[in-house]
Amino acid sequence: MSGDEELAKDLGPLAALTIGVGTMIGAGIFVLPGEAISRAGSFAIVSFVLGGGIALFTALSASELGTAMPRSGGAYFYVNEALGPLFGSIAGWANWLGLAFASAFYMVGFGEYVVGIAGLPDGFMIAGFTVPWIKFIGLLAATLFVLVNYIGAKETGRLQNVIVVILVLILTVFTVYGATRAAPANVPGSKGLTPMLETTGLIFVSYLGFVQITSVAEEIKEPGKNLPRAIIGSVVIVAIIYALVLVVMSAAVEPGFIQAQSEADNIAVVEVARLLMGPIGAGAMLFGGLLATASSANASIMASSRINFAMGRDRIVTPDLNEIHPRFGTPYRSIALTGSFILLFIVAAPINTLASIGSFLHLVIYGLLNIALVVMREADAIDYEPSFTVPLYPFTPIVGGLLSFALIYYIEPLPRLVGGFIVLFAAVWYLGYARTRTEKQGLLSEYVLSREEEMPDAAVDAAESVQPTGDNQYRVMVPLANPAHEKELITLASAIAKQRDGVVDAIHVITVPDQTSLSYAADHIERVEEDHRSVLEKAERDAETFGVEVDTHTIISHRGIEEVFDAAKDHDADLTVMGWGPSSGSRVEGAVDELTSDLPCDFLVLKDRGFDPERVLIPTAGGPDSVLSVEIGKLLQQEFGSELTLLHVADGEQEGREFLETWADEQGVDAELRVETGDAEAAIETAATDATLVILGASERGVLSRVLTGSLVPDVVANVDCSVLMSERKRDRGVLERVRGLLGR
Amino acid sequence: MTDDSSAPLLSHVFVPVATEKDARETAVALAPYDPERVTVVHVVEKGGGVPDKTPVEQSESIAATAFEAFRERFPDAETETVYRRNVVQGIVDAAAETGASAIAFQPREGGRLKQFLSGDRTLRLVTDADRPVITLPGRTE
Repeated sequence: MSGDEELAKDLGPLAALTIGVGTMIGAGIFVLPGEAISRAGSFAIVSFVLGGGIALFTALSASELGTAMPRSGGAYFYVNEALGPLFGSIAGWANWLGLAFASAFYMVGFGEYVVGIAGLPDGFMIAGFTVPWIKFIGLLAATLFVLVNYIGAKETGRLQNVIVVILVLILTVFTVYGATRAAPANVPGSKGLTPMLETTGLIFVSYLGFVQITSVAEEIKEPGKNLPRAIIGSVVIVAIIYALVLVVMSAAVEPGFIQAQSEADNIAVVEVARLLMGPIGAGAMLFGGLLATASSANASIMASSRINFAMGRDRIVTPDLNEIHPRFGTPYRSIALTGSFILLFIVAAPINTLASIGSFLHLVIYGLLNIALVVMREADAIDYEPSFTVPLYPFTPIVGGLLSFALIYYIEPLPRLVGGFIVLFAAVWYLGYARTRTEKQGLLSEYVLSREEEMPDAAVDAAESVQPTGDNQYRVMVPLANPAHEKELITLASAIAKQRDGVVDAIHVITVPDQTSLSYAADHIERVEEDHRSVLEKAERDAETFGVEVDTHTIISHRGIEEVFDAAKDHDADLTVMGWGPSSGSRVEGAVDELTSDLPCDFLVLKDRGFDPERVLIPTAGGPDSVLSVEIGKLLQQEFGSELTLLHVADGEQEGREFLETWADEQGVDAELRVETGDAEAAIETAATDATLVILGASERGVLSRVLTGSLVPDVVANVDCSVLMSERKRDRGVLERVRGLLGR
Repeated sequence: MTDDSSAPLLSHVFVPVATEKDARETAVALAPYDPERVTVVHVVEKGGGVPDKTPVEQSESIAATAFEAFRERFPDAETETVYRRNVVQGIVDAAAETGASAIAFQPREGGRLKQFLSGDRTLRLVTDADRPVITLPGRTE
């Protein structure tokens, strides 16, 4: 397998570096310098350097985490592993939407460049509305790049490498040429510390790319060496380029020039290049801007689908989102959804707001990433063995985290509000949706909960109160043999699963006799194949009408009912719903003894004469199986509005009623109570004439096993006209019995 | 394994599959011809210097489910995962490596536009292969 994994790694050091540089040198440097200089004066240079510094701290942490866990999903994955799914949900959503906001920003920047090249007016009129050209082109371009990713043209990736080289060349020439014209006297005055920090918050969107390298970590050759080089290298390279470009822009033109260009709605970088190098310079810059914004957006859309994949893998979002297009081989749903977010954001917000929200969300991730590193180190995870370690630990990640969170404070109020809302939404999303689905706990809460004694109560309570409950999700297993009863069984199972927020496992068990060889079995399966697929497909459809998640499985086996018991154990089923009838083929010879008492989970066995839950009769004499019957009855009542009737057959009317009233009260059930005297079976059969369904609890342990193996056919089941649901609760074997089992008695 | 052109056509069939559905349908189409030995292969389309369309982990799980679906009908089929930028070339080379007697596959339909966008692999496989290529009928899609 390791040989295969080597083959899967085909990104060299340069390719990895390009992903980072290509994503970062985008709209950030081609769109924002004018705005930055207008806001912060000469300190705009400091803003870009400071942004690079903050990014560098986080880049070191990302490198360590990336070499320790080269898994798809990057930042989201590390935060989820270390801090658990609550923060994982926040990091995942922030990373996903952060990239969508950044892409929207890149695309509006792209629009600015196209409008600059084509010399278009501000907007055009459609049906009384003025549509700004910049946004219109931004929308068109976004649609194009989403489509390119949807179809999955490999060529765009190659193009990306060429683009990065061209961009670095253009910016280098610009810097070198500008440096010859630079004069310190031109540098505008600074506008103070606060505007500088606010500007840093705005331009931080220029430093979003490096984390995307970690999201393809599993494809990088020798990740232990190449990953840190690519991450740190790309941050250092772009920070230097940014700083130099800013120096040139401040020093090579007269003070006030930038301000004037911004007010005239010109693109400052282009106008500076025009002034310095004439039309060729301006043309090169326009061209560069187009390429840069396009490549940033393209890379970001790709990266967001990786984050979706990792989130789906952990069930923070539905894994259906990651479905692969049968022809294009792309995660088309994820790309289409991200694409719609991008289009929405382009329409909804002005360019600086888009940039600031993108910055905000990424700062949240970077902050969490640094904390994740500290947790990984402190909790001393066994398999945490990074080949690159951050220097000056714990100073580096702590400073990196603090700086990231501190910069959030300087982001403008509106973007901060939107960003804060998204973080809140992600937390609510976890509690309301993902918590019951995801299974990972996260190192932090494991650490806290495993040291319950030493930890402060508040920390333990907090860790407990947000723990995922996904592995406790209620699972209803439905073994399907006879297609004729598929609908009834799935309906019943889905109704129960829906009421319990659970899932359905539909299992098709194909039984072949022991004597049959494997190759003969294959032929045999071939004959039932058409039924076989259609049974599971119908099961999926029927369960979906209830909005219940359904997993399907096929089991080919020499054994019959035993296989169902094994499957129930394998799938951690809480309840198995299966059909039964003399002709259902579940009758097997032998092996009855082993099965007699131990059910792997609660069982419902339906003698199907049509499923109609309108009037449900539940005969009871107390006991755990009757309790299960009533529980099921209550779920059917909630789902279908069934009328329930509890029937108790007693020796005397008076004592029977007393028992039944007390018992029904204990069960908290809203049902009609009916007490009969005389022969129990006769009474049940009489009462059943009014009912559409009888739920019959097993009268003693092992009844269902005997029913399923065909050694027992309850008279009641045979004699009534409606469907009968037999129920038996799983019993934990007592110590005494287990000892008896060991002694073979 | 060496190439032996006198070997019966179905002595060792090499079957490329893409997805779970594709694998299942291909297996159904192949079964009536009762090949002696079957190797089922999934080619993970690599970026070759640029990131893949899908994460490696996902690509490998797609391969695994496709194999599982194929084995519902051919429980003894051998499996092979190949990583290549050029899917068709990957199939052809892997078939040569295993010394297969023929490559059998079920062409995927789809409009002209989709064929164009994803590259017409049917045509390329048929023209590029250095051993017999069997196209299986019965695509239901």
